[in-house]
Amino acid sequence: MNEMHADEQSSCPIFNRRQFIHRVAAWSAGAVAAPPLFRLVPQAMAAPGAQPLLAVAKGTDYEALLAKALEPLGGLPFIKKGARVLVKPNIGWDRTPEQAANTHPLLVKAMVKLCLAAGAGKVMVFDRTCNDCRLSYVSSGIQKAVQSITDPRVTCAFVDERKFVPVKIAKGKAMNEWEFYKDALDADCYINMPIAKHHRLAKLTLGLKNVMGLLGGKRGNIHQSLDQKIADLNTVMKPTLTVIDATRILLRNGPSGGKLDDVKELHTLVASTDTVATDAYATTLFDMKPDEIESTRCAAAMGLGEMDLNKVKIVKV
Amino acid sequence: MGDRVKTGRLRVPWKWLRRAAQLAFLFGFLWLFRKTESDGTGVIQFAANLLFRLDPLVAASAILAGKQFIALVWPALITIALTLVLGRFFCGWVCPLGTLLDMTRHLLPQRFQRSVRASALPLSHSPTPPSSASHFLHWRVAKFFLLGVVLVSAVFGLQLIGYVNPFSILVRGMAVAVDPWLNRGVTAPFTWLYKNAPESVTNVTEPVYEFLKAGVLPFQQNAFVWAGVSFAILLAVFALEGVERRFWCRNLCPSGALMGLMARFALLRRLPVRVCGNCKAAADCDEFCRMGAFDERERLIPESCNLCLDCVTDCPSGVARFGFRKTKAAPAPLEPSRRLFLASLATGVALPVIARAVGDGSRLPADLIRPPGARGEREFLDLCVRCAECMKVCPTNALQPALFETGVEGAFSPRFIAQLGYCEYNCTLCGQVCPTGAIRRLPLPEKQKFIMGKAVFDKDLCLPFAKGESCITCEEHCPLPEKAILFREAEAVVKKTGQCAMMKQPFTVLSLCTGCGICETKCPIEGKRGVRIVREETVPADVKKEYEELEKTNPRPAATQASERAAGY
Repeated sequence: MNEMHADEQSSCPIFNRRQFIHRVAAWSAGAVAAPPLFRLVPQAMAAPGAQPLLAVAKGTDYEALLAKALEPLGGLPFIKKGARVLVKPNIGWDRTPEQAANTHPLLVKAMVKLCLAAGAGKVMVFDRTCNDCRLSYVSSGIQKAVQSITDPRVTCAFVDERKFVPVKIAKGKAMNEWEFYKDALDADCYINMPIAKHHRLAKLTLGLKNVMGLLGGKRGNIHQSLDQKIADLNTVMKPTLTVIDATRILLRNGPSGGKLDDVKELHTLVASTDTVATDAYATTLFDMKPDEIESTRCAAAMGLGEMDLNKVKIVKV
Repeated sequence: MGDRVKTGRLRVPWKWLRRAAQLAFLFGFLWLFRKTESDGTGVIQFAANLLFRLDPLVAASAILAGKQFIALVWPALITIALTLVLGRFFCGWVCPLGTLLDMTRHLLPQRFQRSVRASALPLSHSPTPPSSASHFLHWRVAKFFLLGVVLVSAVFGLQLIGYVNPFSILVRGMAVAVDPWLNRGVTAPFTWLYKNAPESVTNVTEPVYEFLKAGVLPFQQNAFVWAGVSFAILLAVFALEGVERRFWCRNLCPSGALMGLMARFALLRRLPVRVCGNCKAAADCDEFCRMGAFDERERLIPESCNLCLDCVTDCPSGVARFGFRKTKAAPAPLEPSRRLFLASLATGVALPVIARAVGDGSRLPADLIRPPGARGEREFLDLCVRCAECMKVCPTNALQPALFETGVEGAFSPRFIAQLGYCEYNCTLCGQVCPTGAIRRLPLPEKQKFIMGKAVFDKDLCLPFAKGESCITCEEHCPLPEKAILFREAEAVVKKTGQCAMMKQPFTVLSLCTGCGICETKCPIEGKRGVRIVREETVPADVKKEYEELEKTNPRPAATQASERAAGY
């Protein structure tokens, strides 16, 4: 998750390439011009009544740990052959892996490998960082880890400011429009890989908040009614799978951290296709109750997932 | 041609060798300039600051003004040693500004050049030389005047090198104006196509864009205040080429003047020392000499000759050559007169006095923040050569050239503007590229504790105070392991509804804050931010007191408690 970023100028195009094509098509068909904004239908939600499945895995070999956590979920069945997969870790900060401000590089690398093995045609790893992107990509160890997989299908590029496009948030309660990253919108699967951290405004930053790394514009402006806005944003980019990295968690001075005393090693992963459930479970790792996190409540209220852990099938491996 | 055969010597194509060397050094310089940029590793392996460290005048003026030995400038010794052997070769073979002048003069309107030459160049090889009272002849000594003023002013504590050093003018102009403008100009059409053109077009343009971004263009799009001023100075140096070839180098360049003075003692000499009196050819050394390095009596001026070797290659009779042989014939006498020396001495003494009288820089504006690791203001101004390397390398574009905000002596010195960018907690690049150590190269842990300023909140703007909206984006970004921004929970009026609500209202822990400015950069308020960095000594006493009180009543959450509570699996 990307807490926010305030300095970039919003690069708001009048209409983008895809819209241009739409418009040309519309004009040539003699139809009315296409609407100027994306209208994305949130992906189909789990059928009511079906019990969400959540896997909790523990182990110190992080590459093996990921496969272990995915096993109860049946691996990555949603990746169709040739699919464009977005693996979205938190690379927000110029911090080292042991400082627990970014997702662990080995987990990201393992996930990219699993995606490739599942037949992905393209695997994109990126995050709109809070600190300088060059420093964050290097310090996090993620750039090096991903680039060590020498496969032309894998990219670990910096965010290109031109690629943010305005999107209508039809279901939004606190916000109705924001700029999203085009590559993320175009992806077939969105694998959400946040790290569980302390955050003084949101209390914790978990799976739902990780979507902020896909946003353009001045993200400081999301901090007013932050929790509802996080839920709103998740109606646009709903993760296909969320794996919360709790191999080490940040207990204080989050989300940027920097002090090893504030880090606690748990060697744990929480995985589910239901992001609300992963957030609810991960909250308990901090000895807090799921409903203490406002964004989890907002998202559950919007029907984005299940926050009552009694209604979630939890498999510990 | 016949003469050439008669001499029976193999003629080395010196002119072409020199041109090749010029191109090689120019590309080397451009490569270094491009490398003066963060790659995320936190280390700059190569930087264009090498150019400054090679310049004996930069070394001399920084040592004189700073009143200290500066080990960083040792490469200047190489230049001095080579100059004492070869003469002013640097200007003809190495200097990237000289090469660029040679390359671009053809872009000036030819008619303009010709008319100026015809009317103004006095040194034609005519049977009756025009009187020496030519206008441009006198310009030649101006460089010695400037050299004297720079050195004498430096002794009296005024650093002027940044205004007249060719590398300062070139690198600064490129860093703050040419490079950012070029980048914007080149990327803009690609961006337009990307956003508007059909895919059949962008499939072609995007790979080109990717290539340019990867290898040619800078990583970041910088923007600088006062960019036009530095650009205008650089442009003027190029425009003077229309008056006379290498006008800057012949007449104004004080670095060239210093090397020229050394060149008088150089071992390598053009032979013959005079323009050949019996030259049968129409070609003629002094007319074609790019440096105008022959005086009225057609003797070589060692201070001017930059060893371009055109006269060797182009000599129709194969007579002109360079050699280490001693000759009886004397070159032109040293041109700067005693009067000129006294004038530069007087000016050099007067300028520091005037500068102090106009503004002594002891009372700096509250928002005038220097880069991390910068020495005390006085020493900083003495050492800073205004090269803009720090501004070029800053990954957040926070370092900006000052104009007169810091007093008359501070023009083009770097100032940190937190509204535009912030100081990366783990970055020491500006200290790494500073050629004179005006910004010290601090080890990372020391830089992380360096106090640039202090963050002070403006309750009229900061959202939880002024509008009753939650925010604390500043606290979130504070990079210190123990955050220097805390908050109190207090009731505030929500402006939108008129109701009261509990708000997290931030304050600074002044004992910890380093003034890195990320809070100000990331503050979501447009324009003037709700939190701003000010010089440490300008934090008002009542603010200090208030923050100290708040710290007592709003302690930071304890660590141990949370650690024990965390349950885990």
